[in-house]
Amino acid sequence: MFPGKMEQFIDNLPPMDLMRSEKMTFVQLIIPAESAHRAISYLGELGLLQFRDLNADKSPFQRTFVNQVKRCAEMSRKLRFFKDQVNKAGLMSSSRTLLQPDIDLEDLEVHLAEHEHELIEMNSNSDKLRQSYNELLEFKIVLQKASGFLISSHGRAVSGEIELQDNGYSNDDYGDTASLLEQEMRPQPSNTSGLRFISGIICKSKALRFERMLFRATRGNMFFNQAPAGEQIMDPVSTEMIEKTVFVVFFSGEQARTKILKICEAFGANCYPVPEDISKHGQITREVTSRLTDLEATLDAGIRHRNKALTSIADHLAKWMDLVRREKAVYDTLNMLNFDVTKKCLVAEGWCPMIAKAQMQEVLHRATFDSNSQVGIIFHQMDAVEAPPTYFKTNTFTNPYQEIVDAYGVARYQEANPAVYTTVIFPFLFAMMFGDWGHGICLLLGALVLIARENKLSTQKLGSFMEMLFGGRYVILLMSLFSIYCGLIYNEFFSVPFHIFGPSAFRCRDTSCRDAYTTGLVKYRDPYPFGVDPSWRGSRSELAFLNSMKMKMSILFGVAHMNLGIILSYFNARFFGSSLDIRYQFVPQMIFLNSLFGYLSLLIIVKWCSGSQADLYHVMIYMFLSPTDELGENQLFWGQRPLQIVLLLLALIAVPWMLFPKPFILKKLHTERFQGRSYGILNSSELDLEVEPDSAREHHHEEFNFSEVFVHQMIHSIEFILGSVSNTASYLRLWALSLAHSELSTVFYEKVLLLAWGYDNLVIRLVGLTVFAFATAFILLMMESLSAFLHALRLHWVEFQNKFYHGDGYKFKPFSFASLTEDDD
Amino acid sequence: MGFVVTSLIFLLIGIIASLSTRIFFNKGPSANLFHLTLVLTSTTCCWMMWAIVYLAQMNPLIVPILSGE
Repeated sequence: MFPGKMEQFIDNLPPMDLMRSEKMTFVQLIIPAESAHRAISYLGELGLLQFRDLNADKSPFQRTFVNQVKRCAEMSRKLRFFKDQVNKAGLMSSSRTLLQPDIDLEDLEVHLAEHEHELIEMNSNSDKLRQSYNELLEFKIVLQKASGFLISSHGRAVSGEIELQDNGYSNDDYGDTASLLEQEMRPQPSNTSGLRFISGIICKSKALRFERMLFRATRGNMFFNQAPAGEQIMDPVSTEMIEKTVFVVFFSGEQARTKILKICEAFGANCYPVPEDISKHGQITREVTSRLTDLEATLDAGIRHRNKALTSIADHLAKWMDLVRREKAVYDTLNMLNFDVTKKCLVAEGWCPMIAKAQMQEVLHRATFDSNSQVGIIFHQMDAVEAPPTYFKTNTFTNPYQEIVDAYGVARYQEANPAVYTTVIFPFLFAMMFGDWGHGICLLLGALVLIARENKLSTQKLGSFMEMLFGGRYVILLMSLFSIYCGLIYNEFFSVPFHIFGPSAFRCRDTSCRDAYTTGLVKYRDPYPFGVDPSWRGSRSELAFLNSMKMKMSILFGVAHMNLGIILSYFNARFFGSSLDIRYQFVPQMIFLNSLFGYLSLLIIVKWCSGSQADLYHVMIYMFLSPTDELGENQLFWGQRPLQIVLLLLALIAVPWMLFPKPFILKKLHTERFQGRSYGILNSSELDLEVEPDSAREHHHEEFNFSEVFVHQMIHSIEFILGSVSNTASYLRLWALSLAHSELSTVFYEKVLLLAWGYDNLVIRLVGLTVFAFATAFILLMMESLSAFLHALRLHWVEFQNKFYHGDGYKFKPFSFASLTEDDD
Repeated sequence: MGFVVTSLIFLLIGIIASLSTRIFFNKGPSANLFHLTLVLTSTTCCWMMWAIVYLAQMNPLIVPILSGE
């Protein structure tokens, strides 16, 4: 009667939020062609329908709306180009969302084409101008420096016979330079003899090789003079500012000239004609300078014009990109739909949550009305062959926990969601391994900072590490709160104990405290009311006590956690109506686990309460090896030996109980179903992964592979039996990590901080403090946090979830505009 | 303060926490049940941890032996 009443009570409870995934229904929509685009857009805004691709066998080019998709892709390419240009120009796109009129897609296409054309033209013009500017600048520098060489060489020149001629330039586009320059450029009748020179400018990095090459080519009959340019010049190829060197090469002979010109071209040196007449230098320089200023003005005007155009684009850019992204998504979705036989309607199929049905119908009515269609959109439910997707409605608080669970495996449709318990137990297990309330306060401060700046940080683009931290801010908050609690219990504040909750329970045996270093203190009052007694820190028997306590604590928590997992499997079995699972899986599993490890937990508690000196390892091992032996001094309570024998027998019975009956009964039910009149629906959570509970269809398997089912059951049972030992032992990592944390903390405190503080020197103290701070922050706060996080996660994913979780579902991914990100472009 | 008394204090804190969440965050029966689960789970975990540490120190088999300076 009592189990019956319990079950009634459980059944009458409202369904818990987040415990099971939302009920989904498979729907079919028949949309007339004229309202299709609008309907899909509105559904995208609503974001609650996952479309099934009805054209999965067609290639992207065979689909109906492939042209529109191509157009959208082209538009998004143009928009990316604009964005690039805006970024390169260093303009900030204003984030004001102006009251801009909604723009049509075709208009936008035309707009974008115009803008692109304009921009490309402006860019090429300014490139040309810039190139001329660079050349003129180089010419000016060459004039300045080369005139220095020429003056000195002119002075040294022997009279008359040596004629300096201008020659040797290899730049052709000097069409519109000033008058004097033009004179110089007219090819002079070249004398075959006499000292000539070529002047130009070359990259500083290549100058040495250039000189050597010239030397080799002219067989040493040349004189090379160079000087650094003094200012950096923009290299048009790499658009970087590089150092250049002005050079002047003096040579004689026509072959030498051609060779030198070719070498100049090969090395990318630009040659500029410098008149040998010194008096003309000044005039040419003045002309060049005036042209430079003109060009600069033109360039500036050009840049200003372009920036103006870019700014006007940048204002609209975000909105346009959004629009194009949405349209592309709509057309991609439209491509998933089928035309029906009359070719006038589109057929869509998909999954949506049951509770969203009303919303959807309202949206579809609005679409019909807005597109002035005569025919309404038909929306009806259908049965589906496949299992529905899993959809959990999470909020900002529960979302990271759900993601943690989903990272292991998305829940099967409507099975119990471990996230409900993970929300509390995961931070708690973390805290057990991290327990130090000083470190907990640091974590808390970090979490509070993240939460306080939530609004600002959620709009920014963060790096991947910061994004994970920000996403998990509520997890970190809970982790820190529980860490403070566990730190108070372990009595560690940066490994220092405090007497917050009253005086210690231990004191010296007598006033001289002689024995304190040999036989130790004595307990004279009730235990320390909250947490570990502060007298333990620093004593020689500290680790012996703490290890024993923490190991037993890990076992107790582990057994409790695993029992919770098995109980969740009971609730799953009840929900899916599988009494087979309850009777032949849940019950023997509970019996097996609790008769062995539940009994161990009981022994631990009894030993603590009675203060007995029994050796629990001995008790457990000899319970198996020789259960009928007398316990002697290992006896903890009256009737222990018969109890142990009973428990051992129960555990032994539980093994074949979970191994054998289920496959045979399944086989019997199967033969009954397909040969007899029985309508017993075959419902077992293990067997058929394709049948969902509320489907009216019969499952397709006509054959029942008995050996497969039997082997499956055997594997499952053996996994459980062997796993019960290994999983229980696995929880000892709670002890191990908390020991590591506490030891590291102690080492840093004693060997760094106290050591440094012992000296009287201020510098040493500061250094010690800094090292302590850095070590705490990086090793204890970051590395240990990650470590404890990982191990708590493993305990959840493996030890807890393998008791009940299948995790072979798939996530609900509705067509939603909100989930379109920039990466989709 | 005794094991039973402090356990009762934990129980009381748990009840107060459940009632406060019901009063301040009342969002419908299914959400309420979820909040209740969270509060109960955390209270149970915290109590278990405290109880284990307390019981372990009730009848200690070893005592602190100070390390000689």
